[in-house]
Amino acid sequence: MLRYIARKAVGWFLMIVVATNLTYFLANAFLKPASNYTALRPPRTPAEINHSLSLYNLNPNKPIMDRWWDWITGIVAHWDWGQSPTGGSVNGQVSYRIIVSGELVIASTILSVVIGIGLGVYTASRQYKAGDRVWQGISVISFNTPSAVASLGVVALAIALNQRLGSTLLPVAGAQSPDSSGFLDVLGSRAVHAILPTISLTFISYASYHLLQRSLLLDNINSDYVRTARSKGLTRKQAIYRHGLRTSIIPVATQVAFAMPALFTGAVITETVFAWHGMGEYFTKTISTNDVHGVVAVAAFGALMTAVGAILSDLVIVALDPRIRVS
Amino acid sequence: MAINMPGVGPDAEAVRTGDAATPDPAKTGAAGKRISPFKLYARRFARNKGALIGMVLFVLLVLFAAFGRFLTHWDYTEADFAALTVSPGTGGHLLGTNTAGNDVYAQLVHGLGRSMIIAVVVSLLTTAIAGLFGTTAAYFGGKVEQVMLGVVHFLLVLPSFLIIALVGTHYRGDWKVLVVVLTIFGWMLTARVIWSLATSLREREYVMAARFMGVSPMRTIVRHLVPNIGSLLIVTFTLGVASTVQSETALSFIGFGVKQPDISLGAMLADGQGTLSTAPWLFYLPAALVVLLTVAMALIGDGLRDALDPTSQSGGRA
Repeated sequence: MLRYIARKAVGWFLMIVVATNLTYFLANAFLKPASNYTALRPPRTPAEINHSLSLYNLNPNKPIMDRWWDWITGIVAHWDWGQSPTGGSVNGQVSYRIIVSGELVIASTILSVVIGIGLGVYTASRQYKAGDRVWQGISVISFNTPSAVASLGVVALAIALNQRLGSTLLPVAGAQSPDSSGFLDVLGSRAVHAILPTISLTFISYASYHLLQRSLLLDNINSDYVRTARSKGLTRKQAIYRHGLRTSIIPVATQVAFAMPALFTGAVITETVFAWHGMGEYFTKTISTNDVHGVVAVAAFGALMTAVGAILSDLVIVALDPRIRVS
Repeated sequence: MAINMPGVGPDAEAVRTGDAATPDPAKTGAAGKRISPFKLYARRFARNKGALIGMVLFVLLVLFAAFGRFLTHWDYTEADFAALTVSPGTGGHLLGTNTAGNDVYAQLVHGLGRSMIIAVVVSLLTTAIAGLFGTTAAYFGGKVEQVMLGVVHFLLVLPSFLIIALVGTHYRGDWKVLVVVLTIFGWMLTARVIWSLATSLREREYVMAARFMGVSPMRTIVRHLVPNIGSLLIVTFTLGVASTVQSETALSFIGFGVKQPDISLGAMLADGQGTLSTAPWLFYLPAALVVLLTVAMALIGDGLRDALDPTSQSGGRA
């Protein structure tokens, strides 16, 4: 088992290295870090700009292979992912933002998995009845709502609610209020600020688990072993939960394992709308500020998360499915 | 199928021959009242209320995007400086104006059209590439298959959204560039699904026969393998439209997709973001259109899947 995981991990590691380096060259080809200096007053000469950029290993006059060598040795030797065009370490930004994103992602993932699978079981055991049809309709709509619409819709509702109440019950921007201090105060403030983004993320992601779980359970619900379980005297509910659900939950678990890492960088829009400074927001910020090293760090992080998801999903399958033996 | 899928002439033609070649139990069963597979599919499709609603919605949206501009004399690029951020109905602006004085109605018509064109073109191209790639990998098997799947896996690991954003920003939001990059990074998952389906076709008699008769691989793939996964391709295409609308909206919303002076629904949503409480119509109208479009496509896709799948029970009996 350990050898199997190790072999997989090595393969993924090579893929991450290739993808990251490729992104480095692409980012250098498409981004112009010098544009950060062109708007400065008094205007800088190109020589001055290039001098400032060469401090951060971004001087376009230096051959790309030399810049790449400096960049890659920095990572391998010191785990230093470089600096933004105006200074400022990429490492510092990323390590802070992973935590911010994590708060958002983990809560909404747990919520959407619980809601999704629960609804899947509920609707599958009532196929084509009113409850099934209503939830199916809601999920089709939420599944197809673009995240920009979902996030802004939640904001609009919250604003309407706050205006009705005459106070800001639910804050719509930021990860915490700037004037809160003390451990409990900060914790409470962060929790309140996380409510709305978590709702909007859950709203767009629960439906895929619901629809998948429903169709998988429907495939299994009439199979021999569930009927056998019924004939042994179990109630329909018991048979579904103990026997039907166990096999049909495996693909859902795989999907969760894959979706969770994607959420880290995928929550771009939610983070932008709610002004959370997480990895998703960093993604847009690095591209719009021509931050070559930041872009590459986001790409590397995304690739790493995909690999983690893939390995996790393998583990989940092995843990849940008794038929699979890995040695 | 031409009734169900407006705007996909050549593709629908190719599928028609394929589906007619597949033996359909309902068709061959009773020789007395033979109905063409098309009538059968149309009938099963029509029985699905959701799919019909989706179809009607989609046709209405297409009509709106195509002919909506004749209802106003404003152009989507034209700014009316006498009316900045006016609410719907004032000053001859049917649905008001945005903060720059652009007519919202004219922008909606153009934005919807732009989003639709991008979605349909990208979805057509990705479905075609995925279909060909997946079946080719399955037909050859062995080393070729391994290499081709390796390419797919590698492209899946690449941070595609990031690369699309990089390229999109570089070319200043030209929608044709967006179509190209969305296509390049959009076909891999579908290709994998199609490959796994086509591996079972590879062993079928008609493919074997073609192989032994010396039919060239390319011809076998295009004439025998692709048509036999036709129904899957149609469903993929419909659902692809919905997901491409979502990607395009997301990209344009964060500013890496369609940009001024061009406009798409995502770009309009980004405009409406800042004025949510002061000028809510700038958000609600494009939001409503995006959701209508994606939900309509999803409903059509679901209906088609049920209509084309011979084992499906949800459409009732043939």
